[in-house]
Amino acid sequence: MAEAYHGPLERIDDTRWRIPRSYKEGMRVDGLIYADDVLIEAIRSDKSPEQVANVAFLPGIVRYSLAMPDIHWGYGFCIGGVAATDPKQGGVISPGGVGYDINCGVRLIRTHLTQNDVRPRIERLVDTLFRTVPCGVGRGGIVTFSKGELRKLMGEGSSYVVGKGFGWNSDLEATEAGGLIPHAEPNLVSDRALERGQDQCGTLGSGNHFLEVQVVDHVDDPHIAKVLGLEAGVITVMIHSGSRGLGYQVCEDNLKEMRHVPKKYGIELPDPQLACAPVNSAEGKKYLGSMRAAANYAWCNRQIMTHLTRQAFSEVFETPAERLGMHLVYDVAHNIAKMEPYDVDGRSIELCVHRKGATRAFPPSHPELPERYRGIGQPVLVPGDMGRASYVLVGREGAMRDTFGSCCHGAGRCMSRGAAIRASKGRSIQRELLDRGVIARARGRTGLEEEQPDAYKDVTQVVSVLHAAGIAHKVARLKPVGVIKG
Amino acid sequence: MPLYVSGICILGIALPGRASRVTYAPVEPAYELFDHTADMGLRIRAVSLEALLVPATSALYAAIGTLVPGETAGARRIEVKDDEAAYLLRDFLTELLVMFERESRMVTTIDSAEFRDGFLAAECRLSTVDVPRSVLQREVKAITYHELAIKSTSGGFEATVIVDI
Repeated sequence: MAEAYHGPLERIDDTRWRIPRSYKEGMRVDGLIYADDVLIEAIRSDKSPEQVANVAFLPGIVRYSLAMPDIHWGYGFCIGGVAATDPKQGGVISPGGVGYDINCGVRLIRTHLTQNDVRPRIERLVDTLFRTVPCGVGRGGIVTFSKGELRKLMGEGSSYVVGKGFGWNSDLEATEAGGLIPHAEPNLVSDRALERGQDQCGTLGSGNHFLEVQVVDHVDDPHIAKVLGLEAGVITVMIHSGSRGLGYQVCEDNLKEMRHVPKKYGIELPDPQLACAPVNSAEGKKYLGSMRAAANYAWCNRQIMTHLTRQAFSEVFETPAERLGMHLVYDVAHNIAKMEPYDVDGRSIELCVHRKGATRAFPPSHPELPERYRGIGQPVLVPGDMGRASYVLVGREGAMRDTFGSCCHGAGRCMSRGAAIRASKGRSIQRELLDRGVIARARGRTGLEEEQPDAYKDVTQVVSVLHAAGIAHKVARLKPVGVIKG
Repeated sequence: MPLYVSGICILGIALPGRASRVTYAPVEPAYELFDHTADMGLRIRAVSLEALLVPATSALYAAIGTLVPGETAGARRIEVKDDEAAYLLRDFLTELLVMFERESRMVTTIDSAEFRDGFLAAECRLSTVDVPRSVLQREVKAITYHELAIKSTSGGFEATVIVDI
């Protein structure tokens, strides 16, 4: 049982709670958690608010140490955490603020198929996806890249694998940053990281990663849904994965190197997992360069799985993916650090925004959005759990004003893995999902148990907080009909 | 006598700061996996720092699932350097994790170990992982620094390690 948080949480309004800077000596700013009166009780039940307070120690942190309503206990940073630092004020970058799974993220593919088209073939479709998209511990992908090819891939991002035939050019426009963070430095990625990544590009992995076939079951905003190509009854596919072993190793290498860096710069930290370096230091630049390379790898990973998903649909429906209308709606990272400009006290300042389990949520007119989404805002993809629902939202002005362009990244766990397994005793989660109309396939024996719907908060409640706070705007709800897990 | 990792766990009683080639006494596997929301914690106990390596190895493999050794795959000396004991243990486990992921190999026996200030070395016997007979439940992404600790206890040492799932 996780230890509860007993520190201060001051209610600001219906959606925000403050941890005052006075809570701990060393906090440079307040902590700020987005939650309603119900969610905050779940949040108090573990030490994640303590982690919000710890992040407030980071030098150069601006305004608040933030947490989204899907916050839960992580390592170093909480999951659902956002921290922006100002490099000109000694602001730091922390590999722990991104996590091991660099550019873990979500993408959504729409189709022209309806639930009626898919229902008779859903079991075959899920089995075909399970066979086609490599998933689970130790499963390699359909392609092995040489170290040289990997360096090129990390330097060019998604366009590299699209150029190799794994996808369509239109996928690039619908990917955050076009699937390429510039200034990546693949030469800073270690040999060991390259070795771990050679056969894993195009693999789902395990844990909470998934590929889900969904149906749009409720539309909140028909106009915006139409721009996104979504309407009630339409089938979508959501993919959740990241940078696999390559990204884990990049984080590992940099965390190890940064262990003594805080002392070098006179930085006091309450948790060694928060090890950091000034953004503009040699150590900070090195991490940024290699982290960007790993982020580009992650986009390639999801891009290859998109190709495999299209192949599986084509096989089952005996129709080319183009004719099934399998266009990418959007792909967005939720474990990343990016340099982004924000207005702070009337001045535009480039900040280093850490999103650790938080999704970018830029509002309409933002210059980084593709032309077709400029009028509606950036799609924000929020997976829930495999029994209830996921959501599509779009970013709103409130995100730029209050959360450094960030929103939640999921429902957030409310039950540990062990507790979820114990709660599954005598039950068949696969059977229960089937009763809800969800065909599930998993490689690991306890994968479905650990990831069962009850292990997560209610995603509807989570996204409703951010909708009410003006951070993001609800567009559509997606219900799972098929899921594959590692 | 070696320290066995697979099968019956045998913990070593070692002399601090020296390679452990001394008396070993069989005891129950001294580790537990504990809850850490989305991740997982390992709590490991042993009579000496060197002896921690055996239950730590077992605990890591248990976090992954039930690993069944296949064919013998030679021996390897795993050597890591750091200035704190807990970090040495973390680095040792990281080496095992990468070996499992990249080579599908596991440590079955630790023939001897040296665990002293700034240095850890273990002579390990390896086997392949018999994947069809193993149950691979979780992907351990990394061994974190979060809440990482080794403390002295009346019976020896207790280590806490959080792994990222």
